Formats: sequence, structure tokens, C-alpha cells
Amino acid sequence: MPDPSAVLNAVVAGVLLGGFYAAVALGIAIAFGMLDIPNLSHPAFVVMGAFATWVLNNTFGIDPVLAGLIMTGPFFILGVLLYRLYHTCFESRGEAPLQGLAFFFGILFITEVVLVLTAGADYRSVQADYIGVSVNLGSVTLPLRMVVPFVVSIGMLLALQQFLSRSFTGRAILAVSQDKLALQLMGVSPTRIKALAFGISIATAAVAGSLLIIIQPVEPSIGRDFIGRAFAAVVLGGMGSFWGMLIASIILGITESIVSDMWNPSWAPAIAFGFLLPTLAFRSGGLLGRKL
Amino acid sequence: MSSITISHLGAGYGKVRVIQDLSMEVRSGETVALLGTNGNGKSTLIKCVMGLLTPAEGSIKAEIDGVTHELAGMRTEDIVSLGIALVPEGRRLFPRLTVEENLTIGAFRRVARKVLPRNIDFCFEAFPRLKERRTQLAGSMSGGEQQMLALGRALMSEPRILLIDEPSVGLAPLLVKRTIEKIAELKQEKQLTVLMAEQNFHQALRIADRGYVIVHGEIAFAGNSAAELNENDLIKKLYMGL
Ligand SMILES: Nc1ncnc2c1ncn2[C@@H]1O[C@H](COP(=O)(O)OP(=O)(O)O)[C@@H](O)[C@H]1O
Ligand SMILES: [Mg+2]
Repeated sequence: MPDPSAVLNAVVAGVLLGGFYAAVALGIAIAFGMLDIPNLSHPAFVVMGAFATWVLNNTFGIDPVLAGLIMTGPFFILGVLLYRLYHTCFESRGEAPLQGLAFFFGILFITEVVLVLTAGADYRSVQADYIGVSVNLGSVTLPLRMVVPFVVSIGMLLALQQFLSRSFTGRAILAVSQDKLALQLMGVSPTRIKALAFGISIATAAVAGSLLIIIQPVEPSIGRDFIGRAFAAVVLGGMGSFWGMLIASIILGITESIVSDMWNPSWAPAIAFGFLLPTLAFRSGGLLGRKL
Repeated sequence: MSSITISHLGAGYGKVRVIQDLSMEVRSGETVALLGTNGNGKSTLIKCVMGLLTPAEGSIKAEIDGVTHELAGMRTEDIVSLGIALVPEGRRLFPRLTVEENLTIGAFRRVARKVLPRNIDFCFEAFPRLKERRTQLAGSMSGGEQQMLALGRALMSEPRILLIDEPSVGLAPLLVKRTIEKIAELKQEKQLTVLMAEQNFHQALRIADRGYVIVHGEIAFAGNSAAELNENDLIKKLYMGL
């Protein structure tokens, strides 16, 4: 019988970890779930965001979270440009599905190589007052290096959720994958909306990257470690549903944390998926997807 | 004041010419019916007006509040911004958005955003059904309700000119009758200029001031009144096989 307080600690650690997964999955949920853009390279942008945070933190002593927020600007522009390229080369020619995947796969490798060439293959980390500090709540230990990313991630999720459901641009983003022609008839350019939304999706990678490097040291190919989990969270949560994605992220986080604590860390992904795949079998739209 | 004047329009898909040398007009405040059986080019003509298809030749002029715009070559988004809205064939709602979200997105146009609450109220008053179902996904509604929503969504953009492509398609006869009457009512209240493509000439002529009969992409007959169209031999031939 495992010690109850150890289980409780594992659950809390899992929730916090899930919060971080949600920050990574958010951009994927926008690209795949709302825009039909198969951006496989998203985790590479997260790592890029982590390195950008490292540079700002190391050279200017800027707080990592603030650094992530500052980088949303350049990352947004990068995302808009990347979408324009993708649109011109693939989407507008109707060759999107397979060629598009290959394109983003290429971007994934290029990004990694560029990072190795410019920053080296070493592990990098950042400094902040809260890293290394823990708060104790009864028998539960809350490491701030996990709490801060959790809070920032939820904040980002809430902000985007509000933006999507309350602003005209946000609603157009929700509609763009459903009927492009109808959207044009509402006076909206689908290409502009998608460019903007993809820019936002890449901008979230800057924030997720800053959270990643707060949690742990980062090297250029580390994105591969959580690529599967982030995609799983999006699919299992219900394509395009933020709350479903968050719940799935947290379930993945908890399962992973408990399994690694109690049994073997390498079993974690298999057990997490084994736990969540039946969800998909019974609810093909994911946990909370809007389904007709 | 708002009107459309189409002159010598030619259009098609690739090498296939669907419309040739077509001229017609919709004057301010009129309800004009574009009548024709399936495949004669009604939707193609409407796509040209909305900029969804670029005409091969001819011009489409829209006059709105004293300013004349050449629509041929303009982008759809810009045409909508002028105050021209389309209820497309097959409704084209956003199936996984709610009724209310569909209506709200209709008000994307700048001038429409300011009057959004008033227009939502207007739609809910005109279609109480939509109010009852405001949180329901559009794709889960019946054909009749979807047609109401499509009409409401188009009105949300504060149009001056409303194009409607086959509102009767897929509806039961009683619903067709009601939808057509509703269009007349909305047109009156919103002071619209309306161009309506229909196969169902009998229903269309109940509310149309005038109409054109389109056959193989050409205007085969222009009727200056509903009565004139009702009496027309061509229509009798096309629709009743006489
Ligand atoms: N997207 C398209 N590509 C090629 N041909 C088309 C397309 N849409 C319509 N057509 C052809 O154009 C002709 C007119 O069609 P349409 O304008 O839809 O007629 P209507 O609306 O009067 O039924 C038909 O012969 C149809 O097959
Ligand atoms: Mg048609």
C-alpha cells in the first residue's frame, strides 16, 4: 500500500505538469483543431522559445516568464510569415495534407539544426528567484518551478478562450475551418484570419518555451520528449476544445507522475495512452469537442 | 438608394462558358426574381455579383448611397463591406457554431458591429425559433430553422442589397411559403433591395415586383410584373410542359 501523502504529492505534481503540457498543446490545438494546419514543428518552436528565453535571461537578466511574453511579438510575426509560405506553396494549390506534413516536418528539423548551430547542443537553464523554492501545504510540497508554469499556462488559456469567444476576430478563427466560403460572405478574408491565428499559435510556443526552461534545463532536441503527449492531449481533449485539451493534459500529467513515482518512468507514456485511448474509442470527438 | 446593374456579363468555369452577354438590373427597393430551372446559371450569376467567381467579360455595377462601384474584379470581402449580402445556396451555416455565434459572426462588418445588439434582437423577434435555440449548434437544426438562421445571419451585416439563392430548396411546401413571406416582410422592415434566384417560380412571384427568366445562361424573358411572368408562354413551357 503506497503512502497516501506520496500519492497526493504525485497527483499534485501531475496536475502541475499537465498545466505545462496544456501550454504546449494550446498552439497545436489552434493549428490542427481550428485551422487544419498540420504544424508538426510546434514543439520545435517551443524549444526555440526556451532558447530565446535563455538568451534574454542570461544576457539581460530578464525574468523568464517576462522573456516569454516579450518573445510572443517576434514569434507572432514568425508564425504569420510561416503561414504565408505554407499557404503559397501548399494550401492555395490544394496540396495541403501530405505535402504540408512533410513541409512542417522539414521545419522541425531545420529549427533543431539552427538551434544546435547557434546555441550549441548543451543543456541550458535560466535563473529566477522562484526556481528552487518550494511551498509546503500540509503534506503537499509545491515546487514553484512547477507552480509558476501552471499558473501562466492557465492564464494564457483563459485569455485565449476569452479572445476566441468574445471578439469578432476570435469567432472568425473558430469558423474558418468550418466553411471558408461562408466566412468570405461575412466579409472576412480566410487567409488573413488563418495567418493571424497561426501567428497566435506560434506566439503561444514562445510562452510555453519559457515555461519549459523554468521547469527543466533544455537542449535543442528536447521537443521530441513531449511531442507525443502534446498531440495526444489535443486529440483526446477534442480537436479545438481548450477545456477538453486541458483536462486531457492534466490526466496525462497525473498518470505520468504517478506511474513514474510508483513504478517505472519509462512506462508512463504507455500507461497514459492506454488510459486515454478508450476515451477516444467511446467519444470519437474527444472529451469535450463540439460534436454534431 | 441601392441598385445593381449587370451589363453584357460573360462567365464560366475554366473553358466552359455558362453565362453569355447577360444584362439585367435590380433597381432600388425592388424585389427581383431570377427564375430558371436547375443548371441554367442562376448561382453562377450570383457568384459573379459576390466576387466568388471572376467574370470573363462585362460589368457589374452596384450603386449604394449615390456611389457607384464596379464589382467585377473586387474581392468578396470588399463587396460584403459595401453592404451587399448573400444567403447562399445550401445555406452554408457554420455547423459547429451555435445559433447565436452564427448570427454574431454575421456582424463582422465594421458598420454592423456597432448595431449588433439591436440586430440580434431584430432577428430573435423575426424568428422566435432562433431565440429558443440560441445555444444550439447550427448543424443540429432542421432545414427550415437553418434557412431562418441563414437569413438572419445575412441581415446581421446591415446589408442594403440582399441576394438570396434558392431559399426554397429542401423545404416542405408549407415552409417554402412561410420563408418566402418572411423574406417579403424582412425586406419591407429593413428597406432592402432584393435579388432572389428561384426555381419555384410560383412562390417567387408571390413577392417579386418583376423577374427575369434565365435559360442556358441568357435572359430568355424579362417580365415587368409578376402578372406578366405568370402569363408568359415560356414559363408555361418550362414549368408546366405546355
Ligand atoms: N464549380 C463549377 N465548376 C464547373 N461547372 C459548374 C460549377 N458550378 C456550376 N457549374 C455548371 O454551370 C452550369 C450552371 O450552374 P448553376 O449556376 O449552378 O445553375 P443554377 O444555379 O441555375 O442551378 C451548370 O451546367 C453546372 O454544371
Ligand atoms: Mg443554383
